[in-house]
Parts: sequence; C-alpha cells; structure tokens
Amino acid sequence: MIRYLLPLALAAAPALAQDFSEGSEAREWGLFGESKARFAATVTDPLCALSGDCADNCGGGDRQLALVREEDDVMVLVLKNAQSAFNGAVTDLLPFCGQAVEVDGLLITDEEIGARNVYLIQRIRAQGDEEWTRANKWTDAWAERNPGAEGSGPWFRRDPRVQAEIAEEGWLGFGADSPVEEAFLEDWF
Amino acid sequence: MLRPLIAAALLAAPAHAATGERVQVTGEVIDTWCYFSGVMGGPDAVVGSAHHTCALWCSAGGIPVGLLAEDGTVYMVLKIEGDDDTAGGDTLLNIASHTVTADGMLYVRDGLNYIVVEEVTADMDIVNATHEDFGVIPGFAIPDPE
Repeated sequence: MIRYLLPLALAAAPALAQDFSEGSEAREWGLFGESKARFAATVTDPLCALSGDCADNCGGGDRQLALVREEDDVMVLVLKNAQSAFNGAVTDLLPFCGQAVEVDGLLITDEEIGARNVYLIQRIRAQGDEEWTRANKWTDAWAERNPGAEGSGPWFRRDPRVQAEIAEEGWLGFGADSPVEEAFLEDWF
Repeated sequence: MLRPLIAAALLAAPAHAATGERVQVTGEVIDTWCYFSGVMGGPDAVVGSAHHTCALWCSAGGIPVGLLAEDGTVYMVLKIEGDDDTAGGDTLLNIASHTVTADGMLYVRDGLNYIVVEEVTADMDIVNATHEDFGVIPGFAIPDPE
C-alpha cells in the first residue's frame, strides 16, 4: 500500500506547494500561466548555490538572482520586475542579497513549455520591515548608466548597445544590408 | 506508520539535484520572459528572426537568457565562457537569437534546468526565419520610417 501512496504523495507535492496567493496584492498581467504569489524567501545567487562559483554581493548586479522560498525551500528564478519595458529584476533584488525578504508578484507556470518556478516580482521588503519597495528600479538605473543616450522614446530605442546591434545586424538579425532585411522592410511598410 | 512516511516524503519532495552533469546542447539563445510568459504571443512567435529585436531589448534589459534546445527543453544560462554577466552583459547580447552548440555543466533544481556554458563550440548565427510567418513580434519593434 505504501508503495502506491508514496508516489501519489510525491507527485502531488509540487502542485500543493504552488498556491501562494494568500495576501497577495499583485497586479494581474493577464498572462496564460500567471498566479499571484506572496511568500517569504532568501535572495540568492543561483550560480553560487548550484555550482559553488560564488562572488561578493551576489555578483554586484552582473548575475541573475533567485529566491529560495522559506516554506518549501524551492528555488524560484526571478525573470522580470514590475516595469513593462523589457526589464529584469536584478537591480531590484540586489540590495537584498542574502537577506530574508517577503515578495509579492506573479508565478508563471506552463508545464508544456517548461515554465515552472519562475517569477515576476512587483514589490519586496526585508522581513520585519513595514514598508514595501516597488520593483521598478531598472529604468532609473539605466538612465544613470547612460546619461548621454541620444534619441527620443523609451530606453530600448536609445540604448547604445542595442542601437549598435541593430545597426550592424538589422531588425531581423540577418545583417542590416542583407537582402532578407531589405525585402522584409519593403514589404512590412 | 503510513502518515509519518507520507509526511516525510512530502517534505523531501522539492528536488535539490544540484550535482552538475556535463552536457552538450544545441539550441537557440532566447529571451525566457517572452517565451515562458506568452506576453508577446505563443512560443513559436517569440523565437528566431521575428523576435530578434525584442530579444535584444530583453537581453540588454537584464532578463535571463535561455538556451532552447531542439527537443524543447529550456536551459537557463548562468554563465557563459567565463562571463557571469548574465543580467545584461555583452556576451549574451551579441548572440541573441543565434543557434549555438554549448558545452557545459547542467544543474537541475525544482524543475528548472540551469547551465554554466564553458564553451560555445559552434555558432550558426540566426537560422530560425520566423519573420516569414509572424512578421516582427511585437509589431512595434521596427519604428515606422515615416
């Protein structure tokens, strides 16, 4: 009997562990696999945790960061911050490197394409603190790093590295002067 | 007897398979947010040439980059050829949307695959001509020349 019940219990465990919506005030994004999730965790450098290749201060902003959830010890990789302009979350997480925090946001789960334990963070606070911090620091940090960025519009139109890539490789990536690019642009517009 | 055993099994359920395994993976360098979230459309539309400009934005924006293997498995890149700047660094930006063969160490934890790429042994550039089916994703990726 135990032989049959244990696999069932094991199979059910991840599903049971995925409802962290209680108390969440996360804004819905209308994504297919999203679920609100507020939980306690520790901000962690996954490269260090997994491979033993560690760096001071979680890599100082270079490395991707994860949350090791307090309740079940699951590592959740944070893909996105609360901004809607193609921004990751390292700038928002780094001040909390190694700290116990509480986070609120959206888990994304779509087993068909392998999306599990990935997260969009909307707000964060150190455990014990009253005040939440919005996870929306990326564009300000970019502006500080790129005071001379020319042009108009959002950061991704003015970023020098992105501009250089597009100038050389084109919008499609086959080369700015490639026949594929030229034919596409003629048709697209 | 059964109850403590099941409780113990539940507690032990989260995987901690952090032992590395040497792997060789061939796949496309993708933006994992658009791929996993569906925010820009289905998974077929957010890869390749159609999504190249958006992939540049997301890579430069510090969103984790992944390697989408031919069998559909996604590997989250934690380091590549000695460069741990995976939150907006140049190495990954320069190979956005490329199909590459990577040799490295695989770590699996809690259902996600993480890869430390020790060497890119082949770079086939962009081979996935998805613009033929989808145009560009998102539609505003290329500003109107007017």
